[in-house]
Amino acid sequence: MALYHNQPMAHAQEPTAAPIEHRFNPYSDNGGSILAIAGTDFSVIAGDTRQSEGYNIQTRYARKVWQLTDKAVLATNGFAADGNNFVKRVKQRLEWYEHAHHKPMGLKSIARMIQTMLYGKRFFPYYVYNILGGIEEDGSGAVYSFDPVGSYEREACRAAGAAQSLIQPFLDNQIYFKNQQPEPGSQPFIPGNLPLATVLSLVVDSFTSATERHIEVGDGMEIYIVMARDRTTDDLLGEGKLQKGMEIEELGTLGEGQGERTFLVRQALKRD
Amino acid sequence: MENNGGSVVAMIGKDCVAIASDLRLGNQAVGIASNFDKVFPVNDKLYYGLPGLATDVYTLKEHLRFRVNMYRMKEEREITPKTFTHLVSSTLYEKRFGPFFIEPVVAGLPTPTELDPHPKPFISTMDTIGCVTTPKDFAVAGTAADKLYGVAEGLWEPDLEPEDLFETVSQTLLNAVDRDALSGWGAVVHIITHDKVITRTLRARMD
Amino acid sequence: MECAFGITGKDYVLLCSDMAAGRSIIRMKSDENKIKALGPHLAMAYGGEPGDTNNFAEYVERNMRLYHIRNHYPLLPASASAWIRRTLAESIRSRNPYAVNLLLAGYDTTTSKPHLYWIDYLGTKAVVPYAAHGMGVYVSLSTMDKWWFNDMNKREGVEVLKKCIDEVQKRITVHFNFNCILIDKDGIHNINIDSQDPLAELESESKAASGDIVVDAPNSPLDVGVTA
Repeated sequence: MALYHNQPMAHAQEPTAAPIEHRFNPYSDNGGSILAIAGTDFSVIAGDTRQSEGYNIQTRYARKVWQLTDKAVLATNGFAADGNNFVKRVKQRLEWYEHAHHKPMGLKSIARMIQTMLYGKRFFPYYVYNILGGIEEDGSGAVYSFDPVGSYEREACRAAGAAQSLIQPFLDNQIYFKNQQPEPGSQPFIPGNLPLATVLSLVVDSFTSATERHIEVGDGMEIYIVMARDRTTDDLLGEGKLQKGMEIEELGTLGEGQGERTFLVRQALKRD
Repeated sequence: MENNGGSVVAMIGKDCVAIASDLRLGNQAVGIASNFDKVFPVNDKLYYGLPGLATDVYTLKEHLRFRVNMYRMKEEREITPKTFTHLVSSTLYEKRFGPFFIEPVVAGLPTPTELDPHPKPFISTMDTIGCVTTPKDFAVAGTAADKLYGVAEGLWEPDLEPEDLFETVSQTLLNAVDRDALSGWGAVVHIITHDKVITRTLRARMD
Repeated sequence: MECAFGITGKDYVLLCSDMAAGRSIIRMKSDENKIKALGPHLAMAYGGEPGDTNNFAEYVERNMRLYHIRNHYPLLPASASAWIRRTLAESIRSRNPYAVNLLLAGYDTTTSKPHLYWIDYLGTKAVVPYAAHGMGVYVSLSTMDKWWFNDMNKREGVEVLKKCIDEVQKRITVHFNFNCILIDKDGIHNINIDSQDPLAELESESKAASGDIVVDAPNSPLDVGVTA
């Protein structure tokens, strides 16, 4: 037996105390953060582009925000594979709807459809937090937020994902004016009617803050701006309206177009 | 930390510092007291906050009071914020393998000396075993730390005057603890300037 | 399976504890006094691990007594709370810690102010106007939140206490008997909370001989000139 330093097949001779169990975990958390803010006649939906698993960055550019229709944009966060697949199936359902009804699905109908689709998988859920933003039938800006099993609500703003705990209290303060009082004699604060420029800078500040303090947030930022029909675009496209380093493009209409316009603003996030 | 809840934030301004805490003392999810201050004075230029396990808040506070009094008698001068930070740090490290469950935050204005006639406002924070960090902007600790980071990062700017610093630190604390179930139930803010300390108790959500 | 409350008023403090003793679902005793007088104007309601409770309560009691003998005056509520807290805080990091939670109630004769302290086995201390320990917290804290107000007179305080007990008996499946005391400038008084008018006895007594201590300190101070 001295022939081998360690006995060959030793493992086969040793009886194991208990059967070794290997359990497949179908979920993962891919970090990142999303947020959406509604205005009176526009809606801003944003997300970062880093995708990670633990301390490993899988890619510095992965989409989390998706244009669904001319007046709806969906942001997904959580398990990226589920997110991508969910968006794919939402888009498929939207296409079927258009074929059946010869018109694109309205925003609140998309919201209800998303809740049905999510709850449909109540016992094997999509591990995804969704935020839907866009323009309502009446031309108002809207944000709907969902939990992974379809509980949803229309709100003026919402943050989700890894940096939700960092961003949401900031939004409570700046969008809902929590813990603030108007000066005596001045107008009361009404959440959800801030000008676009203010909303954009709050979105940028939220993500730069989150990038500063959260390792799973960073690399790039994609901000979708959906504007109601007949709304001016001067506050976005005018000279000097965009911050340094921002690139803007207009996304063409997906259907026949009823006048809503969607813009995509990209910006790099701090690299340290 | 999650046993009793509570949070502290400190910020640097222009020739001033601020330190603030919530007032909740809980037993897990049950609120016990809404008068549990976690920020204590060392002298009129130096305050510190002790968020964490409430029993250790008392024990550490009394221990530090003893050590600072001894220092004062032996040295016949007031302890500086930097020295006090190291005192807290080494006190925590003494219990390296059975730590106090406290993450202290120190905020103070060093008194001008001949060697350093224009000292900078000072804040510092530590982990439970006394590893020190001395930020240039703000320090947060407690159960709402992540929320405090987010709001402070968004609201804070350099060289705030005392009243503006008060507004910034108050808004940061209130909005952060309103999103934390274990913090809140009132808040207290101290603004330390060279000629006075302004202490205000804030009206806050009580849920 | 225990329950204790404390309520402060204008010039008094109420302390109330259940009287059950037992193990898990078995009750072996329903007349166990779990309130201990620690001095002429100081008492505590205690609960926790059986064995630890009585041992710790007696330890505190004898130390309070020792202080009284050495100094010819009792430890004031604030100082007593600090001593008890520290004892528990040292105990929790020792090899065999006491598992005792308590409500400490006292009347400060120097400032004429009632004191109530919520203290748990970790050495956590809260200075509170009203408090509860045990199962009672889930129903009585909200009752006290609703009905308690500043500077209540004795009758109003007893009313709040009765509301708490009613709530416990209504909402908690376990049946409790309660034992209550009231501490004011005259010392510690037993209160029969089940009676129609719990304060009647107390009021007639104080009319008959004001300044009488009804429930004595465990042993009244010996006047033999013992010095520290």
